[in-house]
Amino acid sequence: MAGMMRIVTHDERCRECQACTLACSLYHEGECNLSLARLQVLKDMARYQFQILVCRHCESPDCMAACPSEAIQVNELGAAAIDDTLCSRCGACAAACPYGVLFYSETHDRYLKCDLCAGREGGPVCVAICPVGALTLEATAVEEVA
Amino acid sequence: MTGGWAGRILEVDLTTGKISTRDTHLYARDYIGGRALTSRIAWDELPPDIDAFDPQNVVIVATGPLTGSLAPTSGRTVMTTLSPRIYPRPWHTHSTFGGWFGAEMKYAGFDAIVIRGCAPHPVCLEVRDGQARLVPAGDLWGKDARHTQIALKERLGPQVQVLTIGPAGENRVRFSTVQHAEDNSAGHSGFGAVWGSKNLKAIVARGTGGVSVAHPDRLMREVFELGTFRIAPFSGALYTTIYDKSKTASKERPVCSQACTFNCQVGNYGKSNDGRRIPGHCVGGIAWMTKGFMAATKYSGGGVEIPPSENFGLCEEAELHELCNSLGLDSWFRLVMQPWFIRCQQLGIHAIRGYPINPNDVFWFEDFMRQLAYRQDLGAIFADDLMRAMDELEGELPDELITLGRRLEFAFGFPAHREGRFWDEEPLPFWVISAMMYASESRDPTIGGHHSALLLADFVLADRELSLRQFRRLSEKVWGYPDALEPTFEHKAPVAIWSQHQHMLIDSFPLCDFAFPRIIVPPESRDEWVAAEDMTGDLEIDLRLFAAVTGESLTRAEVNTIAERAFTLERLLLARAGRQRQMEEEWLVPHFKLPCRADGTAIDAAGFSRLLDEYYAARGWDLEYGWPQADSLQRLGLEALIPELEALRARVAQSPPIVSPLRGL
Repeated sequence: MAGMMRIVTHDERCRECQACTLACSLYHEGECNLSLARLQVLKDMARYQFQILVCRHCESPDCMAACPSEAIQVNELGAAAIDDTLCSRCGACAAACPYGVLFYSETHDRYLKCDLCAGREGGPVCVAICPVGALTLEATAVEEVA
Repeated sequence: MTGGWAGRILEVDLTTGKISTRDTHLYARDYIGGRALTSRIAWDELPPDIDAFDPQNVVIVATGPLTGSLAPTSGRTVMTTLSPRIYPRPWHTHSTFGGWFGAEMKYAGFDAIVIRGCAPHPVCLEVRDGQARLVPAGDLWGKDARHTQIALKERLGPQVQVLTIGPAGENRVRFSTVQHAEDNSAGHSGFGAVWGSKNLKAIVARGTGGVSVAHPDRLMREVFELGTFRIAPFSGALYTTIYDKSKTASKERPVCSQACTFNCQVGNYGKSNDGRRIPGHCVGGIAWMTKGFMAATKYSGGGVEIPPSENFGLCEEAELHELCNSLGLDSWFRLVMQPWFIRCQQLGIHAIRGYPINPNDVFWFEDFMRQLAYRQDLGAIFADDLMRAMDELEGELPDELITLGRRLEFAFGFPAHREGRFWDEEPLPFWVISAMMYASESRDPTIGGHHSALLLADFVLADRELSLRQFRRLSEKVWGYPDALEPTFEHKAPVAIWSQHQHMLIDSFPLCDFAFPRIIVPPESRDEWVAAEDMTGDLEIDLRLFAAVTGESLTRAEVNTIAERAFTLERLLLARAGRQRQMEEEWLVPHFKLPCRADGTAIDAAGFSRLLDEYYAARGWDLEYGWPQADSLQRLGLEALIPELEALRARVAQSPPIVSPLRGL
């Protein structure tokens, strides 16, 4: 999987403007809805610290392995993506994700996962819109094949 | 209507505990949302002749159709109520704030919340996914605003957004705030005290819904075309010594509002004593509490001496800033009280009623803030604001100090801003435009001022000849005549009225007044500005964002009518509270007779009267009271209000005028 891209987060630059999550839900769902975004921005008010939660795009995704419905497939960008029509809502993917970045929307009964905005010219919309570079698109390290 | 509005307005009666809703669309067509919407509800439902602490006083928290969407800077909220800070009698006024609360309220299904009554014990209003309930908040009463929010987030989840009062609001300090997040607040108008009088400690919102968008692709395109991380406010690039672009872009700055994608120059980070990063914005915030800014608070002219405020250093300022937000005090009190106390010392007065004053000592200042919030010791005298403290201390202190205190509080209980004398450099004609706005609005025209005055004034201060040349072209395009921004006293009413209407809209869509309306193209450097032949900006962005989100296409003429309708209602609310021309002249002339700090220009009583004539006439208001007339109400679809307006005219003719303590100065 040499040359695959992934979104890298830089929490220290984040200002919680939520432009990434708003743009994500707008692009994918046609509405601005933080609970339908494929990434989340959390704030710890006591410490004034932010955390951006987004798929790490593992080389061998546990979520994909865990899915009993074959609803998670690798798309043209090399990213594991959920086909909602095949998803049985069992939750195995979210439970398997080691980073807690595969989200379940209770109101919409849907599992949501970053697909790197497959089909969008200009790459992932969250990366494009972030005003402060808290999200960057980077190539994953190419592993030497023995 | 396909997008934008949540569709419902929540109504809460704290006395009876009754909770109900009404349809937002009763108002959306004629008032859009936000501040314009509140003007209608307040006119219909705020009883006349009550005190600000009367249980019948109504607090409205409102967002607009863009709130919660990706429209840049739209995460704003407006709050209105009968303000206890207005001197001597309250009237209806507003305050807008950024943050994340308004968006969460929309996601929970409500465009606005209308609150009346008084709870029998402290309560918290919880709003969650279309439901609302009142929960006892006795355990939160007494907590500061920061820890109240942290406690509620621990209890109800980190994603809840909270509005709350601190001890100052609980103790009805007349300049207490309603706080949100680190340093967002409904500030000037004493909203905290009104909440305190209602036993309302906090409102918590949590929603898992969204804001529907009529044209997602158009919205996305507008946002990207606007550009992310553009400098705001639009004069930011002028200060090349401070705002070197290469440094600015990499400088970390906080945002104060959801969906703000700008590189806003009015925010900054500081460090607390325990090492936490703290965000701060604008006056009172660590952004501006620099040595240079504090030195610029000095004023000398027309027999008035205002010493500069002391700067305590960035760490200390960061601490004071957080303390102010935690106690729930309007940080502007400092720009009023600190120089007054320093002047006391200069005149040899080192104690008031036995309480020592030492305003240049950070520890004294911190204690004083706590005393204000809890109405203890010296704070008990000043918690009703400087204007009322001067009434209390008249005869005990030299007349110079009493008069200075009244001048500093300025007009109607609000501190000066954008008026060219005490704190902002506003050369002619900008302070003239501000003066007209002061004379016709419920509070300092901070919001309108940011664009009509301060920002364009910055260009004049940077290069007078160049900017005046560019302004002639700009004026022709925006206002239809070339001398709108010439440094004269004439023909300024259209600019004041334009500013007021644009900002009514900015507060109603809503958007941030530091970024919109984009009257000029924000230069990214001083060189770019100098090279520009035409600096006129894109003034239709707000309408395009509105259309993309709501699916409604409104023309500039249509939204201007909406703005004028709401502004007229605000003026009628002032008329109902007894505000009229005599009061405006009596309170404002003593201030505008003082020389402008930027260019020494001033105006006498006759000149000020001519300004009012020009402004009232341009508005179609009468020249006797400065009130709207029947034909205006007819034109704006407010004809049902004509009988009450006539009754108010009959009443004002019989009533004794409200006399200014600065009369005759």
